[in-house]
This record gives sequence, structure tokens and C-alpha cells, in this order.
Amino acid sequence: MPDFNPIRTIAIKDIHDTLRDRFILIVTAFLGLAATVALVSGAIALRGDLATYEAAKATLLAIGKSVDGIKAPEFYPLRLLRGAIEQIEIIGAAVAILVGYRAAAAERGRQTLALILTRPLRNWQFVAGKMLAGFGLLAAGLAVVLVGLALVLHLTSGVGIGANDLARIAIVWGVALIYTSCFFLLGFVLTLHMKQPSHALLAAFAVWLLLVLIAPQIGDTLDPDNQVAGGVFAQLHIAKPDQTEIMKRFASFESLRNGIEVASVTKHFERFTFAILGIKATYAGMAIGPILTEMWSNLFWILLTALGLACLALALPLNPNRLAKA
Amino acid sequence: MTDPMINIVRLSQEFEGFIALDALTMSIEKGEVFGFLGHNGAGKTTTIQMLTTLARPASGTASIAGHDICADPLSVRRCIGYVPENVRLYDTMTAAENLIFFARLSGVSEPKRRVAEVLDLLDCADLSAVRVGGFSKGMRQRIGLAQAILHQPQVLFLDEPTSGLDPMGIKMLRDLIGRLNTDFGMTIFMNTHLISEIAKTCTSIAVLSHGKLVYHDRIEAVTARYGDDAALEELYLSLAPQGRLAEVA
Repeated sequence: MPDFNPIRTIAIKDIHDTLRDRFILIVTAFLGLAATVALVSGAIALRGDLATYEAAKATLLAIGKSVDGIKAPEFYPLRLLRGAIEQIEIIGAAVAILVGYRAAAAERGRQTLALILTRPLRNWQFVAGKMLAGFGLLAAGLAVVLVGLALVLHLTSGVGIGANDLARIAIVWGVALIYTSCFFLLGFVLTLHMKQPSHALLAAFAVWLLLVLIAPQIGDTLDPDNQVAGGVFAQLHIAKPDQTEIMKRFASFESLRNGIEVASVTKHFERFTFAILGIKATYAGMAIGPILTEMWSNLFWILLTALGLACLALALPLNPNRLAKA
Repeated sequence: MTDPMINIVRLSQEFEGFIALDALTMSIEKGEVFGFLGHNGAGKTTTIQMLTTLARPASGTASIAGHDICADPLSVRRCIGYVPENVRLYDTMTAAENLIFFARLSGVSEPKRRVAEVLDLLDCADLSAVRVGGFSKGMRQRIGLAQAILHQPQVLFLDEPTSGLDPMGIKMLRDLIGRLNTDFGMTIFMNTHLISEIAKTCTSIAVLSHGKLVYHDRIEAVTARYGDDAALEELYLSLAPQGRLAEVA
């Protein structure tokens, strides 16, 4: 039975130490602020739509007409989280890389690793302790951001959120934790094993650029239907069966385009969270169960990426000579 | 005849073709204060890194208190304390927080009580609640020594412990080493450049030159043969030529 005491001791120390790091706190606060701004602007628009509907209804009732003629708009307050999800995708991943970088670079810079590795603990216990602290910090940071957003959403949208919405937010929290953990582990593993920590940070951000910003955009940019504003098919008034027929001729191109998109863990995260929150119109109003059934492969890939990186972190042997240098 | 506390057999290390340590063989008895001399890049730190299980030897082996450094590194880690040349701790944490962390990692049963005890022993209880970020080199060295003795190790490894210290700091450290050796029976393994410290502190010395052991004897034999510090310095300089100062990490 492995001894978990060293893992817990290292994790508690690391959390304690990181919470005193102003830079990490400022960057996390920035993520919260960016997500809140995105949410509030959407909420104001939603509140405007609701007010317009209520005013129209009141006018009709005032002149003695039926309100059956105007259809009540469908309000999905969770859709307002789109901007926040995009911030977690981009800034959240960047913060996670910084937390991972810090977890390793802090020991290298201070040369405290030699003091830790001459204690009766195995190298994997040191790595596991660092990982546990990282996951704990990300979990707490995301929880604060998402709880804050839920509160702002409830207060500003004018629609209010219920238990079902909270359950969806909780699922998003869990998936966001696994997603950001991938980037934490990326920053951590590279910083722990590359010759220069600064080079590791650059390499981690190069991967971040590719996975978070470039690969997901390639899908949209290369989508034939996206080449004209409003959609090529819609502008040419081509019916759905004809669209399908046309796209069959581009099957190989579509496979390649989709392949590039799904090579990015970010795209899987986006697809999953957009479905759960009903941001993608197809899933708006759908129950959680069927969405999970349909989107499980996205969740699987995010989990597989995180697990792969975690196993790599635990399995790679530490090089004390290299780690003794800042 | 009891087994030596540290027994080194043909211990070697190599970095990308450069032989940093060449078949070092020697033993150090329990209760000794051992001074390991040598020029920069002679292989002193490399030796300590292997003995403290931080690095695996290219060949050969060693045992500490009967535990093999390659076969049973965890048992070795339980019996040793290590103070690196530049003690760097967690700057945002207080001295006590740093020490409690290392005490917990070492499996000390009552970390807070033990930390208070050690801080008292090293006469630095007043530093307990102060963040180490503002500490001077001497204060860091003292806390560094404290973290190394929390679990009452049988062997204490010190890598250039007096490096960068002023004369007061050097005297304080020398007195502490003496107390740890006489009052607690710790065997001390100390890398050093300071010849003057050797005669005052050590019971035996060895000189390493370009990775090879060139001299090993008890201090009484050395002083009987070479007399005062100046003669000892002559001995050291003749054994450890400064011609090729390969810096080995």
C-alpha cells in the first residue's frame, strides 16, 4: 500500500505556497473578470429581449387583444455562458500552464528539490503531490469562477436558473477541471524535464497556441459553408437534402477538416460544454442524459489526454542534476 | 571491529564521457567528522549527490549505515541529513513552516514540537515566525542545518557549509557541527575548501583530485606529519593541482 502522507504534505505545502503568489492570483482574477464581462454583456442583451417581449405583451393586453399572436421567446440563460466557456478554453488553459510551470520551476529555481529528494519518499510521490496540488488549485479556481458566474447569471439575466441548470454547470466544472488539468500537466511535465524552464514555458505556450487557437479555428475557416457570411448554402437557397448530396463529394476534405479539429482537446471541450449548456442550438432544451450519451466520446478524449499526461509525469525519471539548476 | 558508517566501493560517475569520479574507495567510521577536500570540479559534490541518493552512480556502490545507496535508497534517506552549498528554502513561508514541511516529509511524529526543539538547539527560535525571504546567508544556513537534523539522522552531509559566511557565521557553524557530533553522535561528511577549518573540526580527511582519491588519513596523523595549518595547506595544494578546473554540475 503506497504511503500517501508525503503526497498530501507536498500538496498542502504547494497550495499554501501558490496562494501567496500574487502573479497567479492576479491572472486567475483576470480570468474571472473576463468571463464575468462576457456573461454580463450577454445577460444585458437577454434582459432587453425579455423586456421587449413583456412590453409587447402588455401593449396587446392594454388594447384588449390576445397575446396568442406573439410567441414567447425561448430563454436559455445558460447560453449566456458561451463567452465564459471561451475564456476558460483560452485563458483558463493559459493559467493552467502557468500553474504547472510554477509547480516545477519553483523547486528548480529555489533548488529545494535536493532537500525533498533526500527525504524518505519516492520520486513519483513528489510528482503526485505536485499534481494533486495543481488539480486542487484548478478545481478551487474554476469553482469560484463558475459559482460567481451562476450567481451573476441568476441576478442579471432576469430569467433565473434552476436545479437543472446548476447540475449542468456542475458537469461543466468537472469537465473544465479535466480540460485545464491537461494544460497544467503539459506545463508541469515540460518544466520538470526540459533543460531550461524558460524554454519549457515557451514550448508549452507553442502547444497551447496550436491546440487552443489554431486547430479549432482551422475547422471553421475551412468549412465550405462558412466561406460566405450567413452560409453559402443559405445564401444560395439550397435545400438540406441537396446540401447533403453536395457535401458527399467533399467527404475526404471533410474528414481531414474534422480530423484537424478533433486533434485539439479544446475542440472536444467546446463541443461537450456547448452541448451541455445548450449553446449549440441542436441541444437546447435536451435533457442531460441524452446529451451525455451523444457527447461521451468528447469527454473520453479529454480524459484520455489528461490521463496520458499524468501517467507520463509519474513515469518519467527525475534528473537531479538537471533539476538542481534554475 | 564494527562496520563503517559510510563504505564506498569503486564509486564512479561519468557525464557525457567526462569522468567526474573515478573508482572512489574509502570508508568512514561512526562518529567521525570527515573533511572532503578538493579543487573545483574534483568530484566532491558529485560524490555527495550519489551518497545522498540524488544521483545514481555509473558504476560501483556505497552503503550508509549498512544500507546500499542503489538497492535501498529509501532506507539510506531515513538515516541521512543533507545541507547543500546554497540553502534555498520557500521564501514565502516562515522558518517554522519550512521546517514543519520537511519534518512531515521525514516522518517526524510531532513536527511542531520537534521544530521548536531544533530551533532552540540552533539558538534561532526568534526566527521561527519570520519569512525566510528576508534571511541573510548565515540565517539560511542555520535553517538549512535545522531541516537536515529534524529526523535525527545518523549521518549529516554538508556541501561547502561555510561558503559565503562571515567569520562569525563560520565559527557558529563550526560550534554547531561539533555539538551535533559530540552530543548526538552524528557522523559528519563535509565538503570544504577551507584548510583552516579542517584541523579545527575534522577527525579525518581525504583529498580528491580530478575525480581520484589522492590522500586519506586521520587528522592526528596529518598534523603529526605536516604540523600547522600552513603546512596542511601546502599538502593540499600539492595534492590538488589547480591546472584543470573543470566545473562539474
